[in-house]
Amino acid sequence: MASLIKRIPELSLLIFGTVIIYIAMGLLSQLNDTNVLTADGAWMLIVGSFLMSFVIAIVAVLGGVGGGVLFTPVMLGFTSIDSLLVRSTGLVVAMFSGLVSSGPFMRKGLADIRIVFYCAIPIIIGAMLGAQVAISMADSMGAEGDAIVRLLLGLILVFIAVMFIMGGAKNEYPKRKFIDRISEKMNLKSAYYEESLGKNIYYQAIRVLPGGFLFLIVGFTGGFFGLGGGWAVVPVLNLVMTVPLKVSAASSGVLLAMGNAAAIWPYIMKGALIASFAAPWMLGQVIGGIIGAHVLSKINAGFVRNILIVLLLMTSVKLISRGIEGFFGVDIPIL
Amino acid sequence: MSDVKNDSENKTEERPPVSYAGIIYGDIIYWGTLAGAFVVLLGSIISFATTNNYVDPAYMLSALMDGKNVNEIWTGAEGVGAPPNGHWYLSEFTTGNGLTMLGIAMGVFSVTPAIFASAYYLYKDNDKVFASVAALAGVITIFAMI
Repeated sequence: MASLIKRIPELSLLIFGTVIIYIAMGLLSQLNDTNVLTADGAWMLIVGSFLMSFVIAIVAVLGGVGGGVLFTPVMLGFTSIDSLLVRSTGLVVAMFSGLVSSGPFMRKGLADIRIVFYCAIPIIIGAMLGAQVAISMADSMGAEGDAIVRLLLGLILVFIAVMFIMGGAKNEYPKRKFIDRISEKMNLKSAYYEESLGKNIYYQAIRVLPGGFLFLIVGFTGGFFGLGGGWAVVPVLNLVMTVPLKVSAASSGVLLAMGNAAAIWPYIMKGALIASFAAPWMLGQVIGGIIGAHVLSKINAGFVRNILIVLLLMTSVKLISRGIEGFFGVDIPIL
Repeated sequence: MSDVKNDSENKTEERPPVSYAGIIYGDIIYWGTLAGAFVVLLGSIISFATTNNYVDPAYMLSALMDGKNVNEIWTGAEGVGAPPNGHWYLSEFTTGNGLTMLGIAMGVFSVTPAIFASAYYLYKDNDKVFASVAALAGVITIFAMI
């Protein structure tokens, strides 16, 4: 950690600045108490959000998912914050660790810029549509729309958890048996140097058309639920398009950052992103994202993945019960 | 074929070159995001330590924790009265929460110049198809902003 801070001076400056500013915010606060929050409570909310965001960034990198997959369901399941505001902040959580890790991944030659741009078009369009539908639904359906969102998100979480339990996408060097005509024309081939094998790995993406269609769906889901989509991008690249796992994982972060950047503008322009609340979540993701991209490969990811599965299943139960409560007006006694 | 097999026959070959279009893309986003993070820090301290705010942050956070929706929050905000429409923070960047929002927006916006710079270098590398795909992605991102 100390060597990392020396190696990346901008990281140490950001961590130092964050600590100083947060202490100063507590000491010099001009905020007034309200019926809901005291001035100290508001400061603790900011600092607590920053720390949670930092932890989520690390867990998300280790678990191989975007931070939005943790943030959005937990906030929707266990707090009374409006679902549209949770989902817009969820996009901040989903995208900023991906944004800062784009630099290191590109420099290492792991993320494939041509694959990223090809997949970016459907994912950006899907994410924008998802965000617009979310905003329209919040305007027109109110509490009923909220209940539907919670219910659907709960079901998606069960699906993600099952995907993790089954092992998910783990095909380090997928073999392709054929190449379709469109993929051949697109010529999405490249190579990267695999440190562990000490040699170059050559690959070519196939099934680019079904892959593109799946990215449209991933983008829509990410933009609508504020989930990001890290849980789905790697399997699509790796299993459907036969891109090596390492390149899939690195390209996934870059790709999601691009898709979520497009999805978040409609929320910003409608005032559905509250700056004071989103800021600590952004800072936690930036700092956690830089650290995650450089040093966290040595930690036991399997253990974190198991925690993630339990967390996703527990949250899904809460979300589904809250969804049913809201939609049918019944009371389900679950904590 | 997988590529690992083919590769074993080429052990003497050099490491594949890293795409400059990718490097420039990653670098612009990395530094843009970091610059945005520092602006967010500055905005956060102004929000808390002064009364120079577009909307009182204590009110915003309380309304948020109280479960109010977007319309209710902005409608109840003193001196604002309605949800903003568009890039409200550009005209309010001298206030604490305006500057905080500007910092977040800077981080998000960094994607757009990065895409176009990358498209330019792909074009220079004679990769005209993917330069066009990148430019299209950039145009769609701009479309999302307006």
